[in-house]
Amino acid sequence: MSRRSLNPGWLLSTPALVLLSVFFLIPLAILLPTSLRPFNSSSGIQSGWTLANYVAILSDSFYAEIMLRTIVLGVLVSAICLVLGWPIASVIARSQSRYKFILVLVVIFPLLIDVVVRSFGWIVLLSDKGIVNELLIGLGITSGPVQLIFNFVGLLIGMVHLMLPFMILILSSAIRAIPSDLEHASATLGSRPAATFLYVTIPLAMPGIVAGSILVFVLTISSMVTPRLLGGPTYRVMASTIYDEFLQLLNWPMGAALSSLLTAIVLVLVVLSGKLTQKWSPR
Amino acid sequence: MTSAGAPNSINRRPRVSPTLISRWLTWIYVTLVVIFLLTPIVVIILASLTSTSYLSVPPRGLSLRWFEAVLNSPSYRAAIASSLTLACASTIGATCMGTIVAYGLARYRPYGAQVLGALFSAPLIIPGVVSGVALLQFLTMSGWRGGFLPLVALHVLMGLPYVIRSVSASIASADPQLEEAAWTLGSSAVKTFFLVTLPIIKPGVVTGAVFAFIISMGEVAATIFVLTVRQTTLPVKIFSMVEFGVDPSIAAVSAMMIFVTAILLLVAEKWTGFHRFA
Repeated sequence: MSRRSLNPGWLLSTPALVLLSVFFLIPLAILLPTSLRPFNSSSGIQSGWTLANYVAILSDSFYAEIMLRTIVLGVLVSAICLVLGWPIASVIARSQSRYKFILVLVVIFPLLIDVVVRSFGWIVLLSDKGIVNELLIGLGITSGPVQLIFNFVGLLIGMVHLMLPFMILILSSAIRAIPSDLEHASATLGSRPAATFLYVTIPLAMPGIVAGSILVFVLTISSMVTPRLLGGPTYRVMASTIYDEFLQLLNWPMGAALSSLLTAIVLVLVVLSGKLTQKWSPR
Repeated sequence: MTSAGAPNSINRRPRVSPTLISRWLTWIYVTLVVIFLLTPIVVIILASLTSTSYLSVPPRGLSLRWFEAVLNSPSYRAAIASSLTLACASTIGATCMGTIVAYGLARYRPYGAQVLGALFSAPLIIPGVVSGVALLQFLTMSGWRGGFLPLVALHVLMGLPYVIRSVSASIASADPQLEEAAWTLGSSAVKTFFLVTLPIIKPGVVTGAVFAFIISMGEVAATIFVLTVRQTTLPVKIFSMVEFGVDPSIAAVSAMMIFVTAILLLVAEKWTGFHRFA
């Protein structure tokens, strides 16, 4: 195949590439300079250049708390999904039951349902007059309603529900890639199940574990809808703060700075994840 | 029921774990997680059936009045129409463009194919909010805000990576010799694509289209910045309504979305053996 004339592959990609450039790449590129503009709440965006927005994010306690909360949420959601998801993933990967496909469909189904709808379901469940609180009071566990929403608990439950299917699907394909002969061999040679799990299964599944955890972390810190609905207008994470800065406070430079920072974190992690997976993939 | 169909049942290897107790514990755990995954969905369906004017679960008195209310409400109907128009337009766009891109990358392997692939999957990686605010600023600067086209473009770009991925998988498993045979027999490149390649990769195209449709129907994070009030889509409408408080009409319209998704999933499963993608 000659590379001197224009390759048809490029030609066929051109319409999509033009669309991508105009409505995605160029808008992203011109968001960056906005983040370096000074902002004044009475007269809006000023001319000139400044790093004040970035300095504020890292030093102002209001923004620092939001950053910290976003990172902690991401880490916890990844960890919880990993622990909750592993047994399900290994059933999906290893079980030979005829009814296994039902489990797979049950895992995929929530993934396809609108994020707004799923968050709404959790609001119905977790609000002060919601089912969970009625159950807790009815069983005499608490006397009044426990606050489960508009705080960290609500965000955590909602995000774990959102992310669990992703983690299960990634882990199950990682576990399926491990030849079960290796586990059998370990057992035959006298390892106890716990030792086999710890020294054979886990190390072999490591690429999947790392890829799944990074993906869930990235998706968690990127999501705006669920944190906004389950955290309310006051309990913010980075993504929901960007929403507020742009649509409510109209402080676009600050919103742009937060966007750039969030994107930078996401890109670094995605590249890192790709590098690690490449390193581990058998060649 | 478990090991009946197992291959290699002749050479009996020592089994690792399955004692009866651990198997029971596993299935109890699986059931609990399934309940966790399905509870918010079931709760919405229950809440949508209430006859009261406020949200109550379990529903007090069964009725379909809230479904009726949604279908009779001009603002819900406008939002549903807006969502469907946008989803259909962007699904057609994403499916056509994505199939062509996937085909070009897989068959001709152009220089920089990997870079192209990475670029096209960027809208999946960049947080939706960021794509949304970037587009908002761009549209405001260029004076294109309020048009239908930018909205379709955004949704096409969001669906494109799914189409490219599923079509690429189909092409990779298709036999290139079939195309070569068609070429040898004098069929033009375009004719070969439509008469030979397309029928072979159809499952990938259909799966990609289903994904693009679902993505478009559900996109809020970026869409909300680009919409004008007149163009409000269904999920954006629900999002803004929930911010001000919940009522049974939201449950009813959510339940309708759940039914549609369930039907789509079953159709996709029937058609392409969806669960194998897991």
